[in-house]
Amino acid sequence: MLAIAVLDGQNIKTGPAVGSPVPDFSAQDQEGRRQTLKSVSGRKGTMLVFFRSADW
Amino acid sequence: MELQRNLDAIRQQGLGLAAISYDSVAVLKNFTDRQHIMFPLLSDPGSQIIRAFDILNETVGPGTAFYGIPNPGTYVIDPQGRVVSKHFEDDYRERVSATDILIQDFGQSADAAREVAETKHLRLTTTASTPVARPGHRVVLSLEIDLKPNMHVYAPGVQGYIPIEWKLEEGAVGKWQPVAYPVSEMLHLEAIGETVPVYRGRVIIKREITFGQEAALTPLVNPADELTLKGSFRYQACDDRVCYLPQVVPLEWHFHFEGLDRARVPADLQRKVQ
Repeated sequence: MLAIAVLDGQNIKTGPAVGSPVPDFSAQDQEGRRQTLKSVSGRKGTMLVFFRSADW
Repeated sequence: MELQRNLDAIRQQGLGLAAISYDSVAVLKNFTDRQHIMFPLLSDPGSQIIRAFDILNETVGPGTAFYGIPNPGTYVIDPQGRVVSKHFEDDYRERVSATDILIQDFGQSADAAREVAETKHLRLTTTASTPVARPGHRVVLSLEIDLKPNMHVYAPGVQGYIPIEWKLEEGAVGKWQPVAYPVSEMLHLEAIGETVPVYRGRVIIKREITFGQEAALTPLVNPADELTLKGSFRYQACDDRVCYLPQVVPLEWHFHFEGLDRARVPADLQRKVQ
């Protein structure tokens, strides 16, 4: 809980807490293929990056 | 792109890599071709995934081109879909890099640079937490000192001897934190009946810099896109019998400079105000 409180101190929302499940999702990648958390995951999991935009 | 450069290091940890933005598939495809991206970029044009994660950036309102962007951040997620760690930033200029995450979460220094200098008394290794210098990014410089057998050097605060001193040409390259020297040990010198603060064996000194903005860095970058930080290490080494003359060893840290991606996709692909 302490780690979460520290992040909240930045006054931005940072989504699911450490230890919590993330929402399932399905999205097209740059080649138009359908991808899910499972399809992008490696053997030990996923590094999932949210970025602002590829165009600014 | 920093993620692309670290793709192998990320995969070596058994992790898959994907990055999500509100961009259209066409914009992501264009970016991929320009930047030679080899991992999935996921298109979330209505920001549904961003909202499902509850990380919609609330500082930009509807009616602007940037409405729908997330608070940028990175999750490391286990195979069961649970968050192992997360890394968010409060200032878009101070980005958390994949290299930082690999070091924090996995103790892996990705593809960090490494150079070695050796004298009669010790060996110096310079490393950095990332080989790439980017405007606004934080980098930790390390200086590893491996003293040869029986050698010691003096810690800061010593009286009557020359302590080790790590200097850097600070200039306008960025914002420097103080040098972090490790705790020393007290050594009793039989011959002279003194007890003094020293280092023996292996010593690691660290210093953090947050690189300045692009305009400040560009003049310091050579035509090969290299940015070099210069410094020196001064010490006086002694063994159990004699003290040697003080030495000054020049040091360098080399970075590949990477400016911000300023190129844009063609106008007809650009996101319209929603």
